[in-house]
Amino acid sequence: MEKVLFAVLTLVYLELSMRVVSAPICSYGQAGCHVPSLADLFERVIQQSSRMHSVSSDLHSDFEQYFFPRKNLIGKRKCHTYDILTPEDKENAQRLGREQLTEVIVRLLQAWGEPLSELYQSMSQDQNQDFNLYSSNKALEISDILHELKDGVTIITEKMKLLGVLSNTVGYNSPESLVPSSAFYTQGDLDSMDHHDLLYCFRRDSNKAKNYLRILKCTTLPEPDC
Amino acid sequence: MCQHQFYVAKPALKSVTVCARMRRDLRGALLLLLTAAVQSSSMSAPGKPVLLSCRSPEKETFTCWWEPGSDGGLPTTHHLYYERERLEGTYECPDYLSAGRNSCFFDKNHTSIWVDYYLTVMASNALGNATSDPFKMDVMEIVKPDAPGNVTLRVEEREASPCLHVRWMPPSNTDTKSGWVTIKYELRVKKDNSNNWKEYTSGTQTHFSLYSVSPGGVYTVQVRCLLDHGSWSEWSNTTFVKISNYLQNERPLSMLISILSAILFIMAGLILIAKRKSVKQWVLPPVPGPKIRGINSQLLQSGGSDDVGNVLIIKQSFPPIYFVWEDQMEDYLIVTENEDWLSSNSQKRKKSLIPACFHFDSEIHSKESPCHQNDWEKDEEISQVDNNNKPFTNTGYVDFQRNVENVDVKHVDYSRVKEVKSDNIIFLEKEKVQSSGYIHFQRQEGIPEDYSRVKEVESDHLVVLQKQNAADLSCKDEGNHYTDCALHKPRKPHVCTELSDSGYVDTIPAPPLM
Repeated sequence: MEKVLFAVLTLVYLELSMRVVSAPICSYGQAGCHVPSLADLFERVIQQSSRMHSVSSDLHSDFEQYFFPRKNLIGKRKCHTYDILTPEDKENAQRLGREQLTEVIVRLLQAWGEPLSELYQSMSQDQNQDFNLYSSNKALEISDILHELKDGVTIITEKMKLLGVLSNTVGYNSPESLVPSSAFYTQGDLDSMDHHDLLYCFRRDSNKAKNYLRILKCTTLPEPDC
Repeated sequence: MCQHQFYVAKPALKSVTVCARMRRDLRGALLLLLTAAVQSSSMSAPGKPVLLSCRSPEKETFTCWWEPGSDGGLPTTHHLYYERERLEGTYECPDYLSAGRNSCFFDKNHTSIWVDYYLTVMASNALGNATSDPFKMDVMEIVKPDAPGNVTLRVEEREASPCLHVRWMPPSNTDTKSGWVTIKYELRVKKDNSNNWKEYTSGTQTHFSLYSVSPGGVYTVQVRCLLDHGSWSEWSNTTFVKISNYLQNERPLSMLISILSAILFIMAGLILIAKRKSVKQWVLPPVPGPKIRGINSQLLQSGGSDDVGNVLIIKQSFPPIYFVWEDQMEDYLIVTENEDWLSSNSQKRKKSLIPACFHFDSEIHSKESPCHQNDWEKDEEISQVDNNNKPFTNTGYVDFQRNVENVDVKHVDYSRVKEVKSDNIIFLEKEKVQSSGYIHFQRQEGIPEDYSRVKEVESDHLVVLQKQNAADLSCKDEGNHYTDCALHKPRKPHVCTELSDSGYVDTIPAPPLM
């Protein structure tokens, strides 16, 4: 009996103490909030992008194994984010500068919001394929992380502007012309080929986003070992 | 006439007479023969090469390898051509030499990440070409770093157990400082010659400490690394270290010591057990009991009650005790001859005087008894009453014998005389008990001078002595001159007709101190 009481008391105490520790995080410094530092924000965002790339990479390889067991499929495809000009090696990325790099990241993330949700919907509807049954939750996860990542990058941009690290020319409300139309994929119902293409393209773009975010962090925050 | 003769093409040709037409045919024949000879020693166009793999060690450059097919017996050259996404045209490999044979090295200027490369290798010789299947790759997918280098082991010898510190360097070509790649490490350890490796993840640190090492073994350590989501590198070169087993050398010595001490303890224990009695005596010395002169404790233990009784009775040399106890718990036995004194206190206590009754029943508080025992007041009242008496401050013992229930068992009690108030009042200290029983008084004919007859026993605490003669009374009336009326005056025994028995109160002569 005493053990039960003790366990209950311990749980109550832990719950209360955890409540005390985890204060709400807010980016605008409202009263009663714990405002995270820029380093914390970057850390969080990089973790999220890493997770996003990892899940999409797994999903893509699962897809390839299931549908196209023969390796090294040749097919010249064009991703809908083709038009977004992105630096393709380290030197170019470092030469780009913070503002442009931030813009590229934001544009990439924004371009994938709709297609990913379409992908998830298509996969969850198409229950004929066993693959879709098991893998549609991964598509949902990717979609969710992307959404959070977009918010996170917005917050970081604001904070950097606040700190004077970033000039105010960076606008994340890009004009419509710059955002690649996701109508590329919505001409009809998505089939497996479309799924595959989407996954392939997204795997690449998530890797780009992760790398660019890391370079942005290392150029913004002066740390000896980034 | 020309004779057509066919000859085998041999170096040594015999001279033959030929016509001009025959010469042309001969050349044609020779050419045919030569071709046949060449074909029989297998010269041909090259076989199809195969692209094996490509690898980028740091996500900034990459190398591709192929395997050539058959060379067709002729010197064959290989060329690698590639096409690239977002780049028009077909290009040839920029560097065939840096990475060795049958390889192509793409330096930083020619490397782009996140774009597809389409590679083909063409083998060509004098007789023809052969082209491999196209190979598509993206640099993002082929990242595999070099193994970490400079793995050093250091043994830290601590008291409890040694620990092993492993340090290494990242591969020299990776750039972790700019954040272009994040590196992760893994190490594995094995002991001696076993095949069981134990793996540990190190994260991004370039050092690691192993605590589960035991002395007296050779430990082999290897490290490998990973960039982003690529492939693991090869394991580093084997580094091993031997941990000395100095602790083991100490073990036989400590075992010897412990065995010796155990033997000593056992021997000590045996000795103690053998001599347990004397040990017990030494550790717990016996408490000396009271020693009563003349009493043989052995006798008491053996239980010879007669002798004991005799010993207790014939106690003539009791040392007098000179202190007065004013303990409230104790009762006092008043031995008095003064009836007036008694009657003067009658209001304080109930009594009925029955002359010369000193016969105690066993039931003291029974109403049948002719004698009433009353509770005495405290000492102070008595002293108040007897202010006309001069107390003697010596105490002595008055002994009576008591018999319980007419049985001939001699149940003897002593009451200590607390003080002698006058020649006829003795205060006895009565112990708490033994109010039962008869008091057996010995009748004696020749009464010594010291004896006074008990006239009555008032209660447990009051004994009235008989006044013998008028001289006593006169002593009393005279007032303070009681010294004449010493206890030593002889008194005649006054026989009480109602007495069933008479006895004497034996008093102990006054000590010289008085």
